Amino acid sequence: MYSDQHLRVSDAERKAASGQLAEHFAAGRLDQAEFDDRVGRAISAKTRGDLRGLFADLSETGAPTVPELPRGGGGSPGDGPRGPGSPIEFRLDAASGVPTYLQLVHQVEHALRLGYLTLGDQLPKVRDVVASLAINPNTVLKAYKELETKGLTAGRPGQGTFIQATLSQVALPELAGLRKALLGWLTAADGAGLDEDGMVALFTSALRDFHERRSGSRTRGGAASSETEGVA
Amino acid sequence: MNMNVVEASGLGKRYGGTWALRECTLAIPAGHVAALVGPNGAGKTTLLNLAVGLAEPSAGAVTVLGGRPAGSPAALDGIAFVAQDTPLYKNLSVADMLHVTRNLNRRFDQPYAQARLAELGIPLNRRAGKLSGGQQAQLALTLALARRPRLLLLDEPVAMLDPVARHDFMALMLTAAVDDGVSVLLSSHVLTELERVADYLILLSRGRVQVAGEVDDLLASHRVLTGPAAEAGRYAERPVVHVRRGETQAHLLVRADADDPVPPGWEAYPVGLEELALAYLREPGAVALPGPVRGQALPLDTGEPSEVTR
Amino acid sequence: MTTLTVPARPEQDASLRPVPWRRMAWVTWRQHRFALAGVAALLGALAVWLWLEGLHAHHAYAAAANCHPASSGACGTLVGYFLTYVSTAQTIAIVLQAVPALIGAFVGAPVLAREMETGTFRYAWTQGFGRWRWTLAKLVPLAIAVAAAGGAFSVLFSWYYQPFFAQTLSFNAQVPLDAGVFDLRGVAFAAWTLAAFAIGALAGMLIRRVVTALAATLAVYTGLALAAGLYLREHYLTPLLVKNANPPRFAWVISQQWYAKGGQPVSQSALSQVLQQGAPQLAGGKGGIPQDDPTVNQYLAQHGYTLWTTYQPGSRFWPFQWIEGGWLLALSVLLIAATVWLVRRRAA
Repeated sequence: MYSDQHLRVSDAERKAASGQLAEHFAAGRLDQAEFDDRVGRAISAKTRGDLRGLFADLSETGAPTVPELPRGGGGSPGDGPRGPGSPIEFRLDAASGVPTYLQLVHQVEHALRLGYLTLGDQLPKVRDVVASLAINPNTVLKAYKELETKGLTAGRPGQGTFIQATLSQVALPELAGLRKALLGWLTAADGAGLDEDGMVALFTSALRDFHERRSGSRTRGGAASSETEGVA
Repeated sequence: MNMNVVEASGLGKRYGGTWALRECTLAIPAGHVAALVGPNGAGKTTLLNLAVGLAEPSAGAVTVLGGRPAGSPAALDGIAFVAQDTPLYKNLSVADMLHVTRNLNRRFDQPYAQARLAELGIPLNRRAGKLSGGQQAQLALTLALARRPRLLLLDEPVAMLDPVARHDFMALMLTAAVDDGVSVLLSSHVLTELERVADYLILLSRGRVQVAGEVDDLLASHRVLTGPAAEAGRYAERPVVHVRRGETQAHLLVRADADDPVPPGWEAYPVGLEELALAYLREPGAVALPGPVRGQALPLDTGEPSEVTR
Repeated sequence: MTTLTVPARPEQDASLRPVPWRRMAWVTWRQHRFALAGVAALLGALAVWLWLEGLHAHHAYAAAANCHPASSGACGTLVGYFLTYVSTAQTIAIVLQAVPALIGAFVGAPVLAREMETGTFRYAWTQGFGRWRWTLAKLVPLAIAVAAAGGAFSVLFSWYYQPFFAQTLSFNAQVPLDAGVFDLRGVAFAAWTLAAFAIGALAGMLIRRVVTALAATLAVYTGLALAAGLYLREHYLTPLLVKNANPPRFAWVISQQWYAKGGQPVSQSALSQVLQQGAPQLAGGKGGIPQDDPTVNQYLAQHGYTLWTTYQPGSRFWPFQWIEGGWLLALSVLLIAATVWLVRRRAA
C-alpha cells in the first residue's frame, strides 16, 4: 500500500464511490440515513483519503476499491486510454433470454455506471469479443452501433470503438428520492396482495410498455403501441 | 461484396426413388454466417454435398461464389469443406496433412496454419488419428481456413464435440469470418448452439426449404400473441404459423411487424430463434422465404386443443 | 443489416491454371508408400531366392550338360542332381502365378476403396486439385510403378528358368509357350500386373470397400487369367498342324487327334479296340491307348490312321508376348479410364 491519501480525486472516482455505497446500502450494511450521509460526503470528498475513510468499516463488495482504480496520471477526466486493450471483458448469459447484442450493450452501460469504463476507454475489439465468446461478429457490431446511437461511444476508423460520453448523471439526492418512492410502491403492492414474483412481473410489463412507448416515439414519430396499462 | 455465396434454383437430388432434396431455391448473401438447420434426414448433408460438387443434382442447379458451377475448378478453388466426422488421413501426421493440403491447392497459408495449430496446442508430429476428437475437428478447420477460401462449408462440425471443444471450434471459425471476411454455411440439427453464431437461417424439412432469411429479419417479422383461446379463430386471415392452445389460453406464432397493432386483450412477445424454428418444423405447409409471403391460414376453430398446455 | 465483409485478398482470377500435376507425386507417394514398400519387399524376397536358387540351378545344368560321356554313371548322377531343381522350378512357377494378382489387388484396390470407405474422399475431392485429376495423378504413376517392378522381376525369372527349357537332357522340359511359364516372362508378367492393378482400381471405385474390392479383384483376375491361359492364348495366331507325333522343338502342343482313312476323327476308345484286336500286347488300359508311344503310333500309322498335332511353334513366343501384352495394356487403359470417368460422374 502506497501513501496516496493526499491525492485529489476526480468526479469519476467520486461517482464510483457513490455507486459502491449504493451497493452496500442495498446489501443492508448501511441504513438510509447513513447512506445519504456518506453519499453526501463522497460527493464533496477532495482526496483519496477522504473517500477511503468512507469505507473503513465496510467489507469488499467485490468491486475494485477506489485506490485500485488505475487512473492515468493526475486522475482528471478525459485522460486517454489506460494502455493497450480494453479495461473490460464481456460475458454471455446464454440462458437469460436476453438477446446477445443487448447483453453487450447493458454490460457496457453497467461498466460505465460502476466506473470500470471511463471517458476515452476503448471497448474490446470485435475480433477479441468474437474469439472469446464465439458469437457472430455482426452481433458485436450491432451492439456497438446501438451504443453509438445512444451517444455513448464513437468509432475511430482503424483504431476501435471508444467511450465518448458517460451515462447521464442522476443527482444522488434524486436517486435517493426515487428509491424511496419505489419502496413506497412496493409496500402498496404488498398490501394489495402481490407476492414478489407478481411485483416483478408487473414491473417488467410496465417497463416494457414504457420502453416501447419511448422508442416508438423516438423512431416512428409516435405510432400507437399497446396500451396495456400497469396497475399500480 | 454483394454477391451470393450460394445460389440454388429448383435444386433437387434423388437417391433411387426418394427425393432427398426438392425444389430448393436459395440465395445466401456473402458476409454472413448461415445456419442450415433441420431434423435428421431433412437433406442438409445432401444440400452441402451438392454445393461442393460431391453429388450431381437430379434437378435444378447450384452455383457458388457468384455463379461458379458447383464442383468446377473455379468453385473448388474458392471454397473449403469440412464434412461430417471431419475426415482426415488418420495415418498421416499433422505436418503431413498440412503438406498434402498445400500440394492439393493453389493457395495455402502455411504460417497461418502453423500459428493456429500452435495456439491450439496441436503437435505437428502426432498422427492425425491419435488426436482427440476436438483436435481433429480443429485440424480439419485449420486446414480449410488456411486455403483462404471465400466460403467455408461445414457439415455438422461440432456434433461429436464436448462443450469446450465446441466453443473453441466456433471461436476459430468466427475469428476467420471477422479477419478475412469468410462467409460460412454450417449445418446442424441442434439449433441452440447456432443462435449465437448465425445471422442467416435456412430451415430444411423433409427435403424442402421452409425458412430462409436473415435472423434479425425473421425475428423482427414474427411474434407470439398470447390470448384467449376462444378468440384464436379471429386471426385466421393473418399469416399464422403455428398455434398452441389449451382450454382457455392460446399462443399464436404469427408473422407481424413490430408496429402491427396488438389486438386488445392479447399480449405480444418476441420470438426466439429456436421457438421459431420448432414452430415451422411442426407446420410443414408454412414457409418463410424471401419474397411474397406464403403463410398459411390454419383451421383454428376445430374446438379441440391442438397442443394442450396447462 | 450491415454485413461484416472485409474484402479478401486480391482475387486470383477464375481463369485459373490448374494445380500442377507434379504436386500429386508427393501425395501419392506418402499415401501409398506402404503398399509400394510391400510390393518391393515381396518381389525383393522372391528375387533374392530366385537369384540364389538360379545360380545353383545354372551350375548344376552346366555340369550335367557338359559331362562326357553322357551315358556314364557319373554323368547320370549329375543329371539326376540337376533334375532335383526341376521340380522346385515348376512349383515356383505355379506360386508366382499369384504374384501379379496380389500386387495388383493390394496396390490397386485400396486407392479408391479406402477413400470411399473412410470418407476421406470428402476431403480429397473438395480440394483445389479436382477429383478426376487427383484420380488420374494417382493411378497412372502407381500403374507404371507396379508394371515396371513386374517387368524387372520377370527378367530375373527368365534368367532363372533358362536351364529348364533345355531339351538336351532327357527330361520332359517345358517350352516357353507353356501356360505355366508364358505369363511370367517377357512382357506378359508386367502386363498382367498392370491389368490386375487396373482391375483393382475399378473394383475399388465400384465396390467402395477395401476388403470386398480386394476379393473381387482376385476373383476377376483369376477368371481372366484362366480364360487367357486355357482358351485365348491358343488362338492368338492360327495354330499349325503337322502330320505326325513329332512337332518341332520348342513347339507348344495344343492338341493331337487321330483321323481314320476317310478323314473322320477317331476316338481313343475306338483306337483302343483296334489295338486290342490287332496287337493286344500294345494296348493300354480300357478306353485309351498309350500316348507318345512310338511303337503304338507306328502300328496305327501302318493301319491307315493319321495323327495330326496342333501346335504353336516356339518362334511365336515373342509375337504372342506382344499380342498378350497388347490386349492387356489396352484393357488396363480402358479400365483406368473407366475408373476416372466414374470418379468424374458419380461420387457421394
